[in-house]
Amino acid sequence: MTTETTPTPVAADSVLSGRHRPGGPAVKPFRRRLGPWLYLAPLLLFIGVFKVWPTVWGVYLSFFHVRPYLGNEYVGTANYAKLFSDPDLRSAVVHTLFDAVFAVSGSIFVGFWLAVLLQGPARHVRILRTAVFLPTVIAMVAAAELWTTLLYPSPYGSVNSLLGKAGIGPEPFFNSPHSALASVILMQIWKNAPYDMVIFVAGLASIDREMYEACQLDGATRWQRLRFVTLPSLRPITTIVLVLGIIRGLRVFTEIWVSTNGGPAGSSESVVTFLYRQFSQNNDTGYAAAIGTALLVVTMVLTCLMLLWRRRKDI
Amino acid sequence: MRSVTPRTARSLCAAAVAAGVAITGAACGGSSSSSGAATSKNAAATGTLNVWIRGSGDSPKAYQKIFDAFTAQTGIKVTIGKATLTDFETALTAAASAHQLPDMVLDDAAQMGNFVSQGIVLPIDKSKFTGADQLTDQAWSSATDLKGKVDAVPFSAQANVLLVRKDWLDKLGLQPPKTWADLAKVAQAFTTQDPDGDGKPDTYGLAVPGSTSRGYTSWFWSTFLYSAGGDFLKPADGKFTATLNSPQAVSSAQFLEDQVCKNKDVQPSALGDDTTATNKAFQTGVAGMYLTGPYAYATMDATAVKGKYIVVAPPAGPDGTAGTLAEGTDIFTMADSKQDEVTKLEEFMVTPAAQKLGMTAVPSATVVRLPVNKTVDPAEVHGDDPRWQLAQQVYSTSGHYEYDNAPNWTQLRQKMSDDLNKLLSSCGAVQGALSSMNSDVSTLLKQQGVG
Repeated sequence: MTTETTPTPVAADSVLSGRHRPGGPAVKPFRRRLGPWLYLAPLLLFIGVFKVWPTVWGVYLSFFHVRPYLGNEYVGTANYAKLFSDPDLRSAVVHTLFDAVFAVSGSIFVGFWLAVLLQGPARHVRILRTAVFLPTVIAMVAAAELWTTLLYPSPYGSVNSLLGKAGIGPEPFFNSPHSALASVILMQIWKNAPYDMVIFVAGLASIDREMYEACQLDGATRWQRLRFVTLPSLRPITTIVLVLGIIRGLRVFTEIWVSTNGGPAGSSESVVTFLYRQFSQNNDTGYAAAIGTALLVVTMVLTCLMLLWRRRKDI
Repeated sequence: MRSVTPRTARSLCAAAVAAGVAITGAACGGSSSSSGAATSKNAAATGTLNVWIRGSGDSPKAYQKIFDAFTAQTGIKVTIGKATLTDFETALTAAASAHQLPDMVLDDAAQMGNFVSQGIVLPIDKSKFTGADQLTDQAWSSATDLKGKVDAVPFSAQANVLLVRKDWLDKLGLQPPKTWADLAKVAQAFTTQDPDGDGKPDTYGLAVPGSTSRGYTSWFWSTFLYSAGGDFLKPADGKFTATLNSPQAVSSAQFLEDQVCKNKDVQPSALGDDTTATNKAFQTGVAGMYLTGPYAYATMDATAVKGKYIVVAPPAGPDGTAGTLAEGTDIFTMADSKQDEVTKLEEFMVTPAAQKLGMTAVPSATVVRLPVNKTVDPAEVHGDDPRWQLAQQVYSTSGHYEYDNAPNWTQLRQKMSDDLNKLLSSCGAVQGALSSMNSDVSTLLKQQGVG
């Protein structure tokens, strides 16, 4: 029988840093290094199985003509060659960029003004803020159903009947190639602006009050305070929300799939709805994987640039 | 915000690049897997047959009645492994890649080419199939490829008919449409003359599922294409030629465009509506005519529109041609299945007894719409309902199947839907649009190896 020595408790910071604390107990460095990884293991395993492996497998499949039962056929870079010459994909890329830029900047704009109007600790303002925040917590599918009903293209659709009273319309909204993408963007702004509002409310609260007071002493107007104090103070947070939002916006899917299905005439097709169509309707898994891989690379490059830029600017 | 040190940024990016290179290398180095032909395992004559069904609601119950009758007769047990409408083919693909296919699948006939090119179905030996001669030639030919190989057993058939609001016709003193010209006239009257009498211009003539989802635009157009005397493709010598720039195809697309763009007598959301939304347009009195399959009888009769509509044959084209879209449900024998037992079940499912069960066992789910067995009279089975009589007559005299036997018909149908939806939403020139549709389809046929 062997006697087991109870390990002496080790300070958390020394475990995490993996460094010996001067005068600390002599435990094998390996065991000490293993500790944190053991705690992380369940999460890492989860990420590995459900994120990393599917990504790796997707990249692998992009070099094949995928035939699940008969066995995949290696096709080299044929799927990538198709990707660069596909006019439908090209227009999907344009729609995606358009959607990402306008939906994100639109919701930042609306979110900012909501925050300016609804900042402050008063109870009625808090109630209003909660009410305004509601769209963000509604499931996208339900929101899209709501908006397709509101924007029904006949003169008796809810929005069209209001427009009709003002002598406008009826507008086709989701049902015309000229307005489908704009309508989807409008819906996204409605859904995401309140989220941005919350970020801006936090940002506004962190601005040093003394700056406003100094302004007031100098006789600055409301507009000047906004222009020369609020906006410059919020610039870093705005830029980051904008850039991250646009990168995330490249993957837009649900919003479009449930409201317009990419139509009419492909006028609101995004890269990911196009990808999904290749997979689910055209059975071209290899091509879908190639598009997914290209999107992954673009997203990674943009994220790297973003990280480097933040380092430069020291944000 | 978390601060990013130069090291983190650089190492993150480096790791990403390294991972990318490693993956690419692995993929390029990977050899192509061998292609194994589909085989059957007739080994153990025991065990339960696993059947997957594309269907939901009460449909599985109706199938279960048929399977129960089969088990009572043969002692072979059958279990429904999966029954869903959502992503059914995706689930099947996943099962195929795990080599865990069910024994038998019931799905739209339109999936046949897709299944065959995936190598997941076994061909049917018609000469050894008991009762093969009782099935209509029309149904068999829909399951036969260009070289005469039979890839599925037809189980149910259907053809599109026209549902028209009788109360609206009566109010405006109109007759049900018999020709395209009548159709346009009635559609115009329904749109402009307030047939529901509420004093608002909120009604339309035709309910159109014009969304590109699942290829609906082309699916809907097909009845007009057939009744103009046109067709999608022309098969010859084991190849297909696209015939979408024919004068007949152009005139049928022109007719549809006139309704959408010039007369504006289709429901306003038509070009984004799938069949669920279009059903709703007819059920709620937004549109007064709907070209759809006889399965819609049960759907419509469960709503307020019950008893207010009549069913007529699709209107004849400009030169009097009667043509309509025919479709069906097929039984597929899956690779690696217990083939002998599956064949026994297939032979049972097309007998008059099983076909009648499929039509009536569960009233809310007529899984057999029109019987494929010649000896069964659908109107008689449905209690002499003249609507079924009409559906049967339309199917056998003017039903045209789509090219389900092309290697990937769903891809072709999707492309045509995209192009047609583009034409209808831009209200552009029809001739040019169909010429480019024709060349799009030709390109895809070549890619599929049959162009």
